[in-house]
Amino acid sequence: MESRLLHVNLTTGELRVEQLPHAMFERWIGGSGINNWIMWEHFLKHDINCDPRSPDNIFVFGVGPLAGTGSGSGIKGRITFKSPCYGIFGDSAAGGKFPYMVRFAGFDHIAITGKAPRPVYLYLCDGHADIRDATHLWGKNTAETHTALNTELGDYPSHVHTLTIGQAGEHQVGIAAVVSDASRIHARGGGGCVMGSKNLKAIAVQGSGGVRVANPAGMLKWSREFRASIDRNEAIYGFKRRGTLGAVEMYQHIGSHFWRNNQGNMFRGDEVRSDNWVKKYHKYSEVCSADCFIACDGRYKIDGSESEKAQKYVGETFRRPEYLTTGSAAGALDLRDWAEVAHWGKITNDYGIDNQDLSCAISFIMEVNQHGLLSERDIGELFGRAQSLEWGNMEDVETLMADIVYRRNLFGELFHDGPYWGALRYSARTGRNFMKYSIYGKGGASFTEEMRPFPTWMNNMAVASRGADHLKGIGLIEKFQRRDLSKRYFNGRLEAADLSTPVLKGACTALVENQVALINSYGVCLFHWMLDPTGYAPEEYYGRAFAEVTGIDRTPEELMRDGERICNLEKAFNSRLGLRREHDTICERWMFEPTTEGMYPGRVAADMFETVLDEYYEWRGWERDTGLQTASRLESLGMGDVAEVLAADGALARG
Amino acid sequence: MSRTPQTEMVTGAVWYQPGDEIPDVDQKLYALQNQCTDCNICEVACSLVHSPDGIVNPLLARLKVNHSPQVGKRAPTHGFGFAADICHHCGNPPPCAEVCPADAFYYDPKTNVAVIAQDKCIGCMECVPGCPFDVIFVAPDGELLKCDLCGGEPACVEACATRPELNNVGKQYNRAPVLFHADSATYRAVLQDKPEPRDEVGMMQAMLEKGMVSSAA
Repeated sequence: MESRLLHVNLTTGELRVEQLPHAMFERWIGGSGINNWIMWEHFLKHDINCDPRSPDNIFVFGVGPLAGTGSGSGIKGRITFKSPCYGIFGDSAAGGKFPYMVRFAGFDHIAITGKAPRPVYLYLCDGHADIRDATHLWGKNTAETHTALNTELGDYPSHVHTLTIGQAGEHQVGIAAVVSDASRIHARGGGGCVMGSKNLKAIAVQGSGGVRVANPAGMLKWSREFRASIDRNEAIYGFKRRGTLGAVEMYQHIGSHFWRNNQGNMFRGDEVRSDNWVKKYHKYSEVCSADCFIACDGRYKIDGSESEKAQKYVGETFRRPEYLTTGSAAGALDLRDWAEVAHWGKITNDYGIDNQDLSCAISFIMEVNQHGLLSERDIGELFGRAQSLEWGNMEDVETLMADIVYRRNLFGELFHDGPYWGALRYSARTGRNFMKYSIYGKGGASFTEEMRPFPTWMNNMAVASRGADHLKGIGLIEKFQRRDLSKRYFNGRLEAADLSTPVLKGACTALVENQVALINSYGVCLFHWMLDPTGYAPEEYYGRAFAEVTGIDRTPEELMRDGERICNLEKAFNSRLGLRREHDTICERWMFEPTTEGMYPGRVAADMFETVLDEYYEWRGWERDTGLQTASRLESLGMGDVAEVLAADGALARG
Repeated sequence: MSRTPQTEMVTGAVWYQPGDEIPDVDQKLYALQNQCTDCNICEVACSLVHSPDGIVNPLLARLKVNHSPQVGKRAPTHGFGFAADICHHCGNPPPCAEVCPADAFYYDPKTNVAVIAQDKCIGCMECVPGCPFDVIFVAPDGELLKCDLCGGEPACVEACATRPELNNVGKQYNRAPVLFHADSATYRAVLQDKPEPRDEVGMMQAMLEKGMVSSAA
């Protein structure tokens, strides 16, 4: 297995290629695993408590070992960094063709440090790298930057694929995102802000090299069987047609939406409740990531006949909204027109900003206003103008979004790190406590799905290494009530699929986090994993693909330990930053305010929160009172070196 | 050597309308209209099976997925389109072979389609513009790449992303890929039955009846 890491120091302009040793794959697999290790090593030499916007922060891009190998599933690229908005571990993934092109250009990982004296972009082509002037690209949005780089670099030796930031990243907005090929977004954690703080506008790549596969015949055979197995799952028909939009209807049934800053958990407005609009209004074709066969994605084009409001956006075309685009627009902001929902998706991509944190910041201020807590003077001070803050008003939403993206008034300055920091800063400034209206979980990250009735999701929001998030330990066994999987993983017990009890929910988070870490280090999309009819068992079939590509043969048990090791490194990173049990928490509304509708009205997270958290630590083998890792568990995972670093920082459990 | 597919008006995707002349060849690749998703998995598989040392590289593939404005033209409801540009395996003799000054084309006895003998090829690239469908490709090292149908079992068809979600029609089939492989007589019969190639579901049903795709158990 060959793998190359490109070190880029933007301060000195130094570029250095390092051949990653084979032992690295044995220990960290690739993708997020190796990314995490690169960042861990970086912060052994640099102050881990540094300002995330300083040149000392690191920005790592990496692909997994299955990328561009014909497996049909290694499609995800991952960025890893210290998060500027949450101040903790940060990473984010996206698909598209950029990741596989990085591999064809001869690299697997890129580690960027320092700060360029003026705007630059990084150009990679067939084993060479180059830092180029990007003054002419500064100020452009992600789509314009992508187009400009395509024109500039031409089609030889291959198409150009890019990773860019928009205006949000340039203004170092904490929740700024990195956008791949102008349409696929690494949204969480503020990677765009880190790029912006380094004056790095874009990474462009062209490649004509290939990727070597250890056993081509075995790889093709695996790929065929895997795809046939996925196609046997009837869920694939809906998923291939609508992607995650299928969740809109289903969530309406179980009350899992996030409405008006989570004052409710069902959508209002007849149209947005169903995903029929895809069939009815928007003309689309499916598009795929490179080397992915699912095509959950598609395009819309607005022709004005859809609704009155759509006439404003005639001719607009972009990727059709997926669930969280809808959850943030139709839910958090209560926009009830599909054209507006689609447009919201497009402009957040163009600016390059995370729609989760952004929508929660805007819905926070709208709710505060709804309760009559903002006087005219307050509004004048915040916005520097008269500003209406009306639910479901797209004009208000667009104006507020621009305030944050350009940090052009007090509101933008206070809320550019998301709703938690915004609410905290505004409360401190006014001497009034607004925290009960702020929706956040660990690290101050926010998320637009209801989780009070769903114990595993609630636990995800409190413990995910990158701050409140569902993708690290996604609680689908519980949400889809998969008793079969509960039975299989927990010795015949059914409680993991039962929403009414806290039992096995923490265990479920720990188990699935390990599996997801494995998936992420292969660079495989979570949807491939979710759709396999044999259930969530990545340690079984992806292990074979990994062996066909790399020649490294692993048993399922070893692979689960690999996943656990990766989770523990992310945890160790956060422990070094001072995170303890009290930081694994969620906001007041989720914790204490009962839900009023949906399947389980009256639920508050506090009913089960501590029980589930205790169980999670127990399954992880971490200390219950502090949440810290123990030396014995780390050593059993072959992480003695990590335990030593934690001990030196006083971040290891004493027991 | 730079190709700019966005401006290409001639696509290599093989779709026939009723009444189109279908050349007489034993085997041929066909694409189901409007269903390509640009996943590139056909390119990846093609390059992998043709590589002696297990290298995946789409630039070494013998077919290319392109953004195809013609798809939009033919199917105005979509306006977006991708299509795999694939060799049409033109009738006897194919135009690419006709222009070859080195006589490097020969018929593969297994499939009866024209392929390039690399040892005879002098790399003059005459066949590249000689191909009316623009589907002879040049590798980064100058090698000329033409589809050889993988000796009768095309890897691209095997790898092609399936679209069983087409009105759930896929439930009836083992596989419902975008790329197909059949002899021209069968394909002619399919077209005769189903005179509207844009109707993917109808096409698929006709293909099932004519044995082009196998029914699910």
